[in-house]
Amino acid sequence: MDFTFSAEQLEFRDALNALLREEVTGERIRARWESNTGWDEGLEAQLLSMGVFSLMFPESLGGLGLGMVDSVLLAEACGRVVLPEPVVETMMIASPLLVDILDRGLGNGSVQAIVDDLMAGKSRIAVSHPINPHLNFAARADWIMAGSGDGVYLLPVDAIQLTARKSVDPSRRLTEIRFDPLPEYCLAQGEVGAALLRAVLNRGGLATAAQLLGLAENLIQQSVQYAGDRTQFGRPVGANQAVKHLLADVAVQLEYARPVIARAAYTVGFSPERADFAVSHAKLAATRVAALAARYAIQVHGAMGYTWECDVQIAAKRVWALISEWGEEGFHKNRIHEWLLQPNALIGPEYTFGRRSLMIPSSDVGQCASTARTTK
Amino acid sequence: MLLEFSQEDERFRDEVATWLTEHLIGQFADIRGRGGPGDEHHFVRERKAWERCLAEGGWTCLGWPEQWGGRSATIEQQVIFNEEYARAGGPGRLGHIGETLTGPTLLAFGSDDQKRRFLPGIRSGQAFWCQGYSEPSAGSDLSNIKTRAVWDAETALWRFYGQKVWTSLAHASDFIFVLARTDPKEKGHRGLSFFLLPLAQEGIDIRPIKQLTGTAEFNEVFFDGAACGADDMVGAPGDGWRVAMGLLDFERGVSTLGQQMLFQVELDEIICIARANGTARQPAVRQRIAEAHIGLRTLRYNSLRMLSGGEDGSLSREAVIYKLAWSNWHRNLGKLAMDVLGPDAELVEAGPYELNRLQSLFLFTRADTIYGGTNQIQRNLIAERALGMPREPRGDAAKE
Repeated sequence: MDFTFSAEQLEFRDALNALLREEVTGERIRARWESNTGWDEGLEAQLLSMGVFSLMFPESLGGLGLGMVDSVLLAEACGRVVLPEPVVETMMIASPLLVDILDRGLGNGSVQAIVDDLMAGKSRIAVSHPINPHLNFAARADWIMAGSGDGVYLLPVDAIQLTARKSVDPSRRLTEIRFDPLPEYCLAQGEVGAALLRAVLNRGGLATAAQLLGLAENLIQQSVQYAGDRTQFGRPVGANQAVKHLLADVAVQLEYARPVIARAAYTVGFSPERADFAVSHAKLAATRVAALAARYAIQVHGAMGYTWECDVQIAAKRVWALISEWGEEGFHKNRIHEWLLQPNALIGPEYTFGRRSLMIPSSDVGQCASTARTTK
Repeated sequence: MLLEFSQEDERFRDEVATWLTEHLIGQFADIRGRGGPGDEHHFVRERKAWERCLAEGGWTCLGWPEQWGGRSATIEQQVIFNEEYARAGGPGRLGHIGETLTGPTLLAFGSDDQKRRFLPGIRSGQAFWCQGYSEPSAGSDLSNIKTRAVWDAETALWRFYGQKVWTSLAHASDFIFVLARTDPKEKGHRGLSFFLLPLAQEGIDIRPIKQLTGTAEFNEVFFDGAACGADDMVGAPGDGWRVAMGLLDFERGVSTLGQQMLFQVELDEIICIARANGTARQPAVRQRIAEAHIGLRTLRYNSLRMLSGGEDGSLSREAVIYKLAWSNWHRNLGKLAMDVLGPDAELVEAGPYELNRLQSLFLFTRADTIYGGTNQIQRNLIAERALGMPREPRGDAAKE
């Protein structure tokens, strides 16, 4: 049992962090808000040369062969700087879906070509899942992989009708997409399609959770800084319990959400068939800490906190947007209690990690029989 | 990252499960599932006998080094032991304070002589310990200790004068570790020393404190000339604060694993009741059960991450967080239990005021957010130590 990340994993994260900290400042995010594309191609080129778009492809396809556990650290780093470009989505959602499709021998040579182009920075791809009514930066993509019913479709972007929608978060460029699910675009349907889409949903939930974690870090860091700098009654406002306890509560939830995201990444990576519970847990934990961080960050900043000028809004608006992407709170809570309260759920203490956690539910679980006695 | 058990670990699981199945029977059948939080005062004699049975089977002090009777068990094995212990309905561990607090503290800070004199009693399930920290004037401000230890040159003994309070299970214990002031000229955390005292002696008066549960796990412990030898001080004079804080780190380490297993048993019981009485069909209850379940998973993952060590698992940062996290979770669980029982939660079915397990759980968990450092104090520590925020201004009396 080991919840730590390896030195290599942390080194790659640190390298990405260093680049992003330098290149993705509040000022430069605001510059994107004013631009037509909302996109920094210079940064994209730097990420490409770091290998970010090859990370999640196996070495046999010319990629770097990283896994979900590696990628959550990177997604967190992207959240930390409130990165506008959908790098995490390419890395954690589109790339593994392409790998799934190739592994299953679906599509034709075109998929392999798309993978090569993606790694070479020659094309971009976005993934649309029925759970999300809007797709971010669809117009910047060359290819869209879209779910519809239990079908997975691959279309060139000009085969899709795009309707732009404005987001409260000016960094996001949302689009409603419409297309005819013609057989010529269909990669998979039926059971195979449903399984692919279920995996996409769990990877999307995980990718969002990891970004929310980074966003919460961003907000808590800004708030700690401000509460230490701002003085009233002759001392920093952060010396007051009424202020510092707010941030302590965020810090607790942040630290405690980390291994939950790690656990989900591990499960998505190594036992994807069992990942629903772990991903929903991760999305809920990350949602909770990020929402709390956004609320308290504004409170701690006082009147400054709700100005356009203050950078709190950059991170807070992303939090509010991501909370309802890839399944809002109700969706994920339902997945958990529907599993937990079925008659044969394996809920005992030995089912968290151990061999028994892998066993098929059976009628002799016996939990209720052994505990009912103790109420007497 | 590796979030699985090895084949060898799973063989260990089978060994634990088999032993517990074979031994939690006969005279011990009645204490299965008893003695958890809010129920600690029950079956003390039987649970002490159980501790001796565990000890004979080699299941006490698993994490201790073999030299002192332990198995040098890995974290994984300790996790598995606690999981199987909870699953089997093992009773609340009376040996817990000795095994997870006194023992590791002596192994880290004690003399060889102290280890020889005190560790075997803990390992064999014969010697039970309690914790003498809080005092009437030293609650949240723990370093404001007034209990004095005075060196009596004539008898060559340390003599104790003062009072400890909120001492859990003192009435069922054989020994107490005491944080006392040995240098009356010093204030705060300086001038304190850490002692090991037998409770069965002149000059010690233990008085139970009746709680709102109607029971008395907590006690006041008065010292009026009670004594221990020079060789019963852990560390040097004035080292008391360092030793006492070192002990608290152990409290937040491996010892959390057993605690979480008791929580899991409580939660599973509540889930079973909710399924049986139909409250599990209410959306509001379902949501809270889901919250409770993932909340406990979160506590478990964090303890295991903390025990994994390494850069992102540093004990110092997370240790101060743990108390706030578990106490809030457990307090909410107590209320969930009552809401799942519905109107029946109010009924006292036995004795003059004999509460059932869940009623005790609910009332006892009102204390969780207070003892061992209140939530307010925990938040101060987190904000000031983990986040580096400005310190709370101190009153004049506390300024040094």
